[in-house]
Amino acid sequence: MKFLCNDCRQVMDFADNVPSEDGGSMAVRYECPGCGRSISMITNPGETQVVRSLGVTLGHEALNTQPEPMSMIREALAGQRATASTPAGPEPVWTENALKRLAAAPTFVQGMVRRLYTDYARQQGYAEITPAVMTEAREALGLTGM
Amino acid sequence: MDVLSQVLAQRQRVADRLAQVGHVVAVMSGKGGVGKSALTANLAAALAMQGRAVGVLDADIHGASAAAMLGARGQPIVMNPDGARPAVGVADVRVMSMDLFLGDGDTPVTWRHPGGLAADTFVWRGALEANVLREFLADTDWGALDFLFIDMPPGADRFDTLMRLVPGLSGALVLTIPSQVSHLVVRRAIAAARESGARLLGLVENMAGLVDGTVAVERERFPDGAGEAFAAAVALPHLGKVPFDPLLARTTDAGRPFVLEHNHAPAGQAILTLAQKLEEVLEQ
Repeated sequence: MKFLCNDCRQVMDFADNVPSEDGGSMAVRYECPGCGRSISMITNPGETQVVRSLGVTLGHEALNTQPEPMSMIREALAGQRATASTPAGPEPVWTENALKRLAAAPTFVQGMVRRLYTDYARQQGYAEITPAVMTEAREALGLTGM
Repeated sequence: MDVLSQVLAQRQRVADRLAQVGHVVAVMSGKGGVGKSALTANLAAALAMQGRAVGVLDADIHGASAAAMLGARGQPIVMNPDGARPAVGVADVRVMSMDLFLGDGDTPVTWRHPGGLAADTFVWRGALEANVLREFLADTDWGALDFLFIDMPPGADRFDTLMRLVPGLSGALVLTIPSQVSHLVVRRAIAAARESGARLLGLVENMAGLVDGTVAVERERFPDGAGEAFAAAVALPHLGKVPFDPLLARTTDAGRPFVLEHNHAPAGQAILTLAQKLEEVLEQ
């Protein structure tokens, strides 16, 4: 949406916006680059929600051209579980005994188990993955038969 | 960035992400309860067993089950700068599903809103859930894949959304069961998919006959050739029929697709044959 300054015949620039506390309505201020006159538009909650359902942002938020992954889902979904991020630090090393134990699992679960245990070890700050770490991870993650 | 520019940028992100995927294949039916998710999980596992890199996108937002069927349920979604890392299921199949975002087994998919006029969720929910599919496609760091299966929800409406987001869709597998009611609904879904400009790869008959392990309990529940006749009537190649095996339902429900450990059973053989045919059709 654009606004025109009737006196200057110029398209007004977006100036700033103030989200409401309820997250619904939003005030957006535009300013004429010629005379400096400003106006504010207030959206109602229904309009704001329709725009958000498109996965787009308005006002200052729109200046961020690279949204976070899954930002719309994470902002809109009620009752969601926490997401994680890859912990910093080097990848833990699998010891020979741990690899032997991993090899005893059915081949089709090995990749999945390897990643789950590697993630767990990284989160715990372990430098290497031993059979003891695997046992600990299995109990912590609620896995059985792995 | 204005709204139009943002929407165009969203489309571009989907295209950029899928540039690393060899084949994007939708599994659709129109009819619910025909076994789309179980067949998708087993097809994905069958191809992964043959060394293909496979992903499954669960487009059934309110009935998400792909994570459970591929043994990936409960894994956290990991957000990295390159995108959301998908869960990894059995046979290293990568999975993205609404189920992975939800708090526990009883949590329904509901969307926050500020109340007032926005409480009329029917006004905006359709657009929002179409954009969930768009975010799954664009923001999941799938990596390089040979196949990305999209497990479609029942109904035909979401297929048009998919075609808008993925105009280069490799094709769609159409699933039915040997029932006249299923055929009635699937016919409409086929017509809608054709109107969207989709390439329909062929028809798969699920639950065609009853098998328990290796024993054919009931060879054909319905007159032999009904599936082939239906495929001919809707002008689709008949790609195969998968018998109903109670063990297939049990193992897949438990997160271990049947084909992984029962590839010599009739249903396992049928799925392996179907996977091979799918590759052949996609190469044509």
